[in-house]
Amino acid sequence: MINLIASVPIVSIVTFLPLAGAILLVFIRAGSARTVRTAALAVSLLTFAAALALFFRFDGTSGLPEFVERASWLGRGLDYHVGVDGISLFLVLLAAFLTPLALLSSWRAIDDRVKEFSLFMLLLETGMIGVFVSMNLFLFYVFWEAMLIPMYFLIGIWGGRRRVYATMKFVLFTMFGSLLMLVAIFALHAAYYRATGSYSLTIADLAATPFAPGLQTWLFLAFALAFAIKVPLFPLHTWLPDAHVEAPTAGSVLLAAVLLKMGAYGFLRLGLPLFPQAAAAFAPALSILAVVGIIYGGLMALVQKDMKSLVAYSSVSHMGLIMLAVFSLNFEAMEGALYQMLNHGLSTGALFLCVGILYERTHTRLIADYGGAAARMPVFAGLFLTAMLASAGLPGLNGFVGEILCFFGIFAANKVLAALAVSTVVLSAAYLLWLYRRVMQGPLKDPGDMRLRDIDGRELACLVPIIVLIVFMGLFPGTFLRKMDASVSRFIDAIKNKPAAAMTLDRAVPPAARLER
Amino acid sequence: MSFMALAPLLAVVAGALAALLLEAFLKRKNHELSATAAVVSLLAAGFFIVRSWGLEIGYFGGRLTLDPLALLLMAVFVVAAALVILMSLVYAPRRDINLGQLCGLLLIAVAGLMIMVSSSDWLVVFLGLEVLSVASYALTGSRRNDRASSEAAAKYFLMGSFAGAFFVFGLAFLFGTSGALGFAASLREGSAPSGLPVASAVGLGLILTALFFKIAIAPFHMWAPDVYEGAPTPVTAFLTFAPKAAGLAVLFRILAPLLDRGGAASVLGPAVSVAAVLTMFWGNLAALRQKSVKRLLAYSAIAHSGYILVAVVSGDGPGLVFYVIAYLFMNVGAFGVLAAMSGQGVERTSLADFAGLGRRHPWLAASLAVFLLSLAGFPPTAGFLAKFYVFSAAVAKGHVLLVVAAVLASLISVGYYLKVIVAMYMQDDASETSLEQNDPALWLVIFLCLFGVIQLGLWPGNLLTLIRQAFSVPF
Repeated sequence: MINLIASVPIVSIVTFLPLAGAILLVFIRAGSARTVRTAALAVSLLTFAAALALFFRFDGTSGLPEFVERASWLGRGLDYHVGVDGISLFLVLLAAFLTPLALLSSWRAIDDRVKEFSLFMLLLETGMIGVFVSMNLFLFYVFWEAMLIPMYFLIGIWGGRRRVYATMKFVLFTMFGSLLMLVAIFALHAAYYRATGSYSLTIADLAATPFAPGLQTWLFLAFALAFAIKVPLFPLHTWLPDAHVEAPTAGSVLLAAVLLKMGAYGFLRLGLPLFPQAAAAFAPALSILAVVGIIYGGLMALVQKDMKSLVAYSSVSHMGLIMLAVFSLNFEAMEGALYQMLNHGLSTGALFLCVGILYERTHTRLIADYGGAAARMPVFAGLFLTAMLASAGLPGLNGFVGEILCFFGIFAANKVLAALAVSTVVLSAAYLLWLYRRVMQGPLKDPGDMRLRDIDGRELACLVPIIVLIVFMGLFPGTFLRKMDASVSRFIDAIKNKPAAAMTLDRAVPPAARLER
Repeated sequence: MSFMALAPLLAVVAGALAALLLEAFLKRKNHELSATAAVVSLLAAGFFIVRSWGLEIGYFGGRLTLDPLALLLMAVFVVAAALVILMSLVYAPRRDINLGQLCGLLLIAVAGLMIMVSSSDWLVVFLGLEVLSVASYALTGSRRNDRASSEAAAKYFLMGSFAGAFFVFGLAFLFGTSGALGFAASLREGSAPSGLPVASAVGLGLILTALFFKIAIAPFHMWAPDVYEGAPTPVTAFLTFAPKAAGLAVLFRILAPLLDRGGAASVLGPAVSVAAVLTMFWGNLAALRQKSVKRLLAYSAIAHSGYILVAVVSGDGPGLVFYVIAYLFMNVGAFGVLAAMSGQGVERTSLADFAGLGRRHPWLAASLAVFLLSLAGFPPTAGFLAKFYVFSAAVAKGHVLLVVAAVLASLISVGYYLKVIVAMYMQDDASETSLEQNDPALWLVIFLCLFGVIQLGLWPGNLLTLIRQAFSVPF
C-alpha cells in the first residue's frame, strides 16, 4: 500500500490535472455556464488537494528535491524532469491555492465566454505550477513561455477598455527578455557539452558545472533581464501597471500573486546558482535598482487615483524588497525573501480581490468616487483592513515575519541599502492606510447607482481562506519555515562554494569526473 | 544504380499526365476523377519513397541520388501536395478554377521539386528548378478570370525567368573553370579571397543570386508578396512552402561543404548570414503593416526562409529538415483556415473579416490561433521546437549574434501574429457573414495540420530519430 502511494507521480498530477480539466471543459456545452464554472472550480480544488498532499508528505530535512520524476523526452538533455524542494514547494501551493479562489471570484464578474475563460485559467495554472516544478531548464522554458498564452487571452478578452494595448505590452515585454534568455540557454547547452562531453539541461548539472567568468557575465545578464522584467525590477516595470489595471480581477490576482514570483524564483533557481560569480558581481547594481524600485513604487502608489494601479505600484515596491533580499545572498535574507514572496502573493491577491468586490458593486475603481463604504460594508471593511495591514507588515500578521527576516539579512549585507529599504514600511503604511481612509471611512458617498451591499457568501469564501492563512502564517511561521530551512541553507552553501572556472572552459573538470576521484 | 531510383518521380509524372489527360479527353467533366488519380499517384510515390529508405540508390550515373535528405524532403513534398489537393476539392470549383488542371500542374511541380532535392549536379538541379517554375507560373495564374491572379503569374514568370538566366550564366562560369557539373567537383579550391578560383566565385555568386530569387531571400524577394497574395489560396500554401524548402535544401547541399572550408566560409558565412538577417527583418517588419491576413502570411513566409537560412549557415541539416516539416504543417494549416474563410466567389482575407471569428466559428478561430502561435514560436508547438533546434545548433557553432538577431526578429513577428488573434478574439463582430462550411476535405486538412503542429511540438521523437538517422548524427 505504501509503495503504491509512493509510486504515484504526484508532482505530475498536480501539474497536469488543470490541463486535463481544461481539455475536459472543451467537451462541455458552452451554453451551460454554471456547469462550466463548477467543473473548473472542482478541477482546481482537486489540484489544490493534490498540492496539499504534496505539502504534508514533503519531508524537507535533506534540502534535496523530493518526489522527483524523470523521463527522457526529446534527447540531448531535453528531459522531462520535475520535483519540488523547500523553495518551489510553497510557490506550487500558492498557485494551487489561489486559482480556485480566483475562479470563485469571477463567478459573476465574468459572464461572457465563460467556457473560454475557465479554460484559460486552468491552462494558466498548469503553466504556473510547471514553471515551479521543472528541474530541467528546457522544461522550465517551455512552461515559462507557454504560460504567456493564457494570460494574454485573459487580459485581452476579459480586460478593461485598453486591454489590447495592455496585453500586447505584457507579452512583448516578457518575450523580449525570455527570448534573450533562450539564446543564453542555447549557449549553456553548448558550453555544458564542451565542458563535459555530454548533453544536459538539468538545472542541478548546470549548477555543478563551472563556467568561465566572461561567459557567466553574458549568460547572467540574459537570464537577469528576463527575470527582472517579470519581477518587475525598476525601470522595467512599465508593463505592470497597464496589465494590472486592465486585467480582470482573477487575472490581476494570479498576475500579482504568482506570475511576479516567477521572476524572483528565476533568480533563486537559475540566476544565482548557475552563475554565482557573475551574480555576486552584479548584485550591488541590482540591489540599487531594487531600492529605487522600493521607493519609487511606494511614492507612485501614494499618488494613484485608481485603486488597482495603487495596488500594482505597491507590488513594484514590495517586489523590490524581495529582490533586495535575494541579492543580499545570505540565509536570513533568502528565507525572508521566500517567505515574503508567499506573503506578497496572499496579501496582494487579497487586495485585488477586495478591489474586485468593490468594482463589481460600483463599476468604478477611482478612489475619489468612494467614501465611507465601511458603514455599508462592515464585514468587508474588516477583511480589507486585515489584508492591508498584512501588506504593510503589521506584527502578528504574515508580512511582519517576512519583512523582519528580509531586513535582518539585508542589514547584514549592506547597512545603507537596509536603511533606505526600511522606508517601505513607512511608505506602505502611508499609501494603504490613506487608501483605506479615503475609500472606507468619512462621509458616505453614493453617486447614484452605487449599491454597496455587504460581502456575500461566495465572496466570503474567496477572501476568508486568504485572511485565515495570513493570520496563521503570522502566528506560526515555523510550520512553513521549517520546511524551507534545509533547502535554503543548501542553496546558500551551493552558491558560496561553487568553484569559479578556469579562464577557458575546456580545462574545466567535468562534474562526473570530479565525483569519481 | 537502380531504376527504382526513378520510381517516385515516374509515379508523380504518370499521375500528372493522367490528371491532365482525363481532364482533356473525358466527355463528361469529372474533376474529382483527376484529383483521385493525382492522390493515387502521390500514394504510389510515397510507397516508393518508403521502399527506397536506407538504400541510397541512384540513377543517371549518380546524378540523381536518393540519399536520406532527398527522401525525407520528397516525402514532405508528397504530403504537402496531397494536403493542397484536399484543400482545393471544394475551393477550386467555387473560385472558378479547373481542379483537374490544378492537380496536374501541382504534380508536375512536385516532380520538379523531387529532381531538385535529389541531385548534386548543377544541370539536373536547373532542370528540376525550371520544371517546378513553369508549373508554378501556371498554378499562380490558374484563376484565369481574376486580374490579381494573372498579374501575379506574369510577375512571377518575368522574375523567375530572370533568375533562371542568372542560374545558367553562373553555371557557364562554373563549368568553364572546372569542366565539371557536380557541386563538389566544380567548386575546387582556388586563389580568390573566397578560396575559390575567381571565375568560380563569380559563377557561384550568380547561382546563389538565382536561388535567393527563387526562395525569396531579401533583397531578392520583391516579387513574392504580390505573387503569394494573387495566387489562389491552396496554391499560395504550396508556393510559400515547397519551392522554398527545395531551394533551401539545394543551398544546403552547395554551401555545407564550402562552409567547412576556411577561405570560403570567411566570405560565404557572413554573406549568407546578412541575407538571413535582412530576410527576417524585412519580412517581419513589412508584415507588421499589413491589413490583409493573406499578405501578412506572405511576408511571414519570407521571414521564415530567413530563419531556415540560419540552419544553412550553421550547416545544420537535421534542424533544416525539422524546421521545414514543422513549417509545412503550420503554414498549410494557416492557409487552410484562410481557404475555409472564402465563400462562393468571395475571398475573405482582410483583418476586418476575422473580427469576432472566435465567437462565430470557435473551432476555426482556435485552429488559426494555434497555427499562428506556432508560427510565432510559442511552446508547446512545432514552431517552437523547430526554432529551438535551428537556433541552438547555430549558437553551438558560434553564431551567437545571428541568433540574437533571429530571436529579435521573431519578437517582431509576435506583434503581427497576435494582431490576427486580437481581431479574432478581442474585437467585436463587424461582419455578420457566416461561412458555408460544407467542406469535409478542408476540415481534414486543418485537423491533420493541427495534429502535426501539436505532435511535433510535444512528441517529435520518431521524426527526430528518423532525421538524425538520415544525417547519421548521434542522438
